[in-house]
Amino acid sequence: MSSLDHRTANKQADRKIVTFSLGHQTFGIDMHSLIEIREWEEPTPLPTVPSFIKGVTNLRGNVVPVIGLAERLGWEPSKIHARSCVLVVSIGEKQAGFLVDEVSDIVSIGDQEIQPAPDVEIGEPSVILGLVRVESRTMEARGDDTGQMILLLDLDGLSLTRHLELVA
Amino acid sequence: MDEIQGIFFEECAEGLAVAEQGLSAMRAGDLSSETIAGVFRAVHSIKGGAGAFGHAALTAFAHRFENVMDEVRAGRIPATPGVTDVMLSAFDILTDHVAAARGTAPLPQDAAVLAALENVLETKGVGVGGGATAASAPATPEAPQPEAEESDEDEFGFRPVGVALDIFDAAEEPVEPVEPDWIIDFAPSHAALANGGEPLLLVREVEALGGTIANVDLSALPPLRAMEPEQSYLRWTINVPASVEESTLTDCFDFVAPDSVVSIVRAESAAPVASVTATAELDPIREDLAEAAPEPSAPTLTLVPTASPSPSAVPPERAPEPAAQTIRVDLIKLDLLLNLVGELVIRNSILADRLTPADQQRVELPELARLTRQIQDNVMSLRAQPIRQAFSRVPRMLRDLSAETGKQVILETTGETTEVDKGVIEKIGDPLTHMIRNAIDHGVEPPADRIAKGKDAHGTIRLSAEQKGARIFVRVADDGRGIDRVRVRAKAIEKGIIQADAQLTDEEIDQLICAPGFSTAETISNISGRGVGMDVVRSNVEALGGRVEIASTPGEGTTFTMILPLTLAILDGMIVRLGGQRYVLPLANVIETVQPAPGQVKRTSPTNEVIDMRGQYLPVKRATDIFDLPGSNRSLEDSLVVIVESESAGHVGLIVDTIDDRREVVIKSLDQNLYPIRGLGGATILGDGSIALILDIEALVASNSFNRFTPKGIAA
Repeated sequence: MSSLDHRTANKQADRKIVTFSLGHQTFGIDMHSLIEIREWEEPTPLPTVPSFIKGVTNLRGNVVPVIGLAERLGWEPSKIHARSCVLVVSIGEKQAGFLVDEVSDIVSIGDQEIQPAPDVEIGEPSVILGLVRVESRTMEARGDDTGQMILLLDLDGLSLTRHLELVA
Repeated sequence: MDEIQGIFFEECAEGLAVAEQGLSAMRAGDLSSETIAGVFRAVHSIKGGAGAFGHAALTAFAHRFENVMDEVRAGRIPATPGVTDVMLSAFDILTDHVAAARGTAPLPQDAAVLAALENVLETKGVGVGGGATAASAPATPEAPQPEAEESDEDEFGFRPVGVALDIFDAAEEPVEPVEPDWIIDFAPSHAALANGGEPLLLVREVEALGGTIANVDLSALPPLRAMEPEQSYLRWTINVPASVEESTLTDCFDFVAPDSVVSIVRAESAAPVASVTATAELDPIREDLAEAAPEPSAPTLTLVPTASPSPSAVPPERAPEPAAQTIRVDLIKLDLLLNLVGELVIRNSILADRLTPADQQRVELPELARLTRQIQDNVMSLRAQPIRQAFSRVPRMLRDLSAETGKQVILETTGETTEVDKGVIEKIGDPLTHMIRNAIDHGVEPPADRIAKGKDAHGTIRLSAEQKGARIFVRVADDGRGIDRVRVRAKAIEKGIIQADAQLTDEEIDQLICAPGFSTAETISNISGRGVGMDVVRSNVEALGGRVEIASTPGEGTTFTMILPLTLAILDGMIVRLGGQRYVLPLANVIETVQPAPGQVKRTSPTNEVIDMRGQYLPVKRATDIFDLPGSNRSLEDSLVVIVESESAGHVGLIVDTIDDRREVVIKSLDQNLYPIRGLGGATILGDGSIALILDIEALVASNSFNRFTPKGIAA
């Protein structure tokens, strides 16, 4: 609990992170980027796109792509289940929906708690912003004292048009 | 203030366009006085506005430019091609100055052009004999106002009041023995100053024509504490000699704010007015003005003409000027309106879907649909602009490119009045730039080569726009060397874009220059040849739902055609089902639909089919194959064939599962949140809230070549 106290003491340096799970991993994104969380709904598939782009969906009159985030990050594609949901985020001026297995929590962390990710990634260095360790707050995890590692995602690195911008 | 400054820059852009058009016309030999006066006025109003906003460098340069234009307009300097060229380069610098004032570009180096302007003034002035006034040839280039020019008075809308009356006081001697044949009554609208109008300059201009101020009506001046520094309260009566042309006078008042009172009448009906007696009241007022001026005004500017002006400012007996009134509207508001109308259309169809068939027959629903449609049409027309705006930057670019490459080029433009959606105009700028650069860099040969080939030393680039049906064709045609297909092919093989043994038609080879990462420039020039140019053209145009066609004849030239939709927003479509998904086929492409009889569709190879349409064999494509979708297990006889028409492949049959509906859909760009996908013109939201993809027939039925360079997705 000491680190929790520590976090509240440094409130001004805090940033809020939405954490979610993909398979057995826990990821986080900055809450500023989150627009909304929606239930999974089969999107309209698109032709000739990479398989991690699941299609497009109607978000309040906008046509927004839905991304299989696990697949995009090189993990096993997510299986759709009752708690599957879509995190709608803004990346630059664009919006995208990320299919995730379950939204877990919102945590506050200080910038100094973010550790750089060791260079063992998926060939795209800028996708992971860093690693953060937080105490687990769920009932089952309270017993052991291990805490949890969160992979903090860099949304700009996940921009779907990044490759186009590089070309142009 | 920012808002007004924004209006100023908009006016600058318009003024620059007018000036450029006029200068180009002059260069081409049109030396009519309207053309020259048009350029003069454009430069003049840029200068005036710049002075008012304190852009010293811009004011100073525009002032010099204006001096030369003034001499040319007065006929004291002949508009020889040499002089016009100097003015064109001055125009280019002026454009840069405007950009610098706007903060989008660094301050240009204008010394050389200033010297050239000065030279024109000096030499021609002497040559034409006594015409060049000493005042317009100042020795110190930094001084923006060598004469008692307006830049200082313009800082506040007030100052003109005092100064104008000073001039009136000084102008006692010419109090008419001359017959005052014209009487001008001029009351700038309350909002004139806020709109960037400059009543003083107008009055001055009329004075320069020989006019004398007969009266200044101060009755509308409110008590000081009620006075708004940015409003105009005065009304001038000016007498002008009969010798001045009416058109010259009306020209002076071309740019007044829309609800100003301007009347120009012959004197017979009205007795000449005696001079004013206002001097006594005036002096205290001027003092007060000086105090009041620095106070920030309350933002009570009315930009839209309303019925509010006080009766003393606009007396009822004066009919307002009948000229067409316009207001400026922020484009964002138009976009918002368009989106809302789009939503309205969608809600309308949702509503129709929810009603019972009996209710759908009621008169209200069709009435609502008709109204919605009318609103939609009107909003669309609000956004239509002449394509000239996109063309306007081409002449300058050509001049720069000619200077850079040593190639001589003449530009011929047609169809610049074609009206296109503002969004399209904005987005074709970059593709157009690339196409022109490409034409000069790769198409037009150096003069020596051209002469050796028996062509004119100068190349010609034809820029044209025309509307055909719901599409706009924008062409850039050069008369250069044409596409070197052998080299293009070799390069494509080298770059791994095609296989070494690929069998390609000429058209397919031409299309290769639009493939990503393709460039034939042997040395990378800074004009084109970054290897991305034509690829960017293609993806930009496709993002607009258009496409690029290339036609080339070796030795004779190349034509690039951008084929664009007239509007980006609405499409008349046929909703079809394919493999369980709904798609929209643009109705403009649909010729007819048939239910194929057994044997009507025949194979010509294991992968190719044709349909027998009344004895004519048309190729048949399966959209499921093209998109690599899970094939439906419907039998052919259970499917429908939609015969579509395409520019590139003529009539083609497209096999679909069923046809659901026909309706207008609002196009949502995939580009907005994703990136353009070849074969799709966008997406739309149907009445039930689900998304249907809009098929791009041209891209779908075009030769299969696009499969070769599809990897548009992320490479990883």
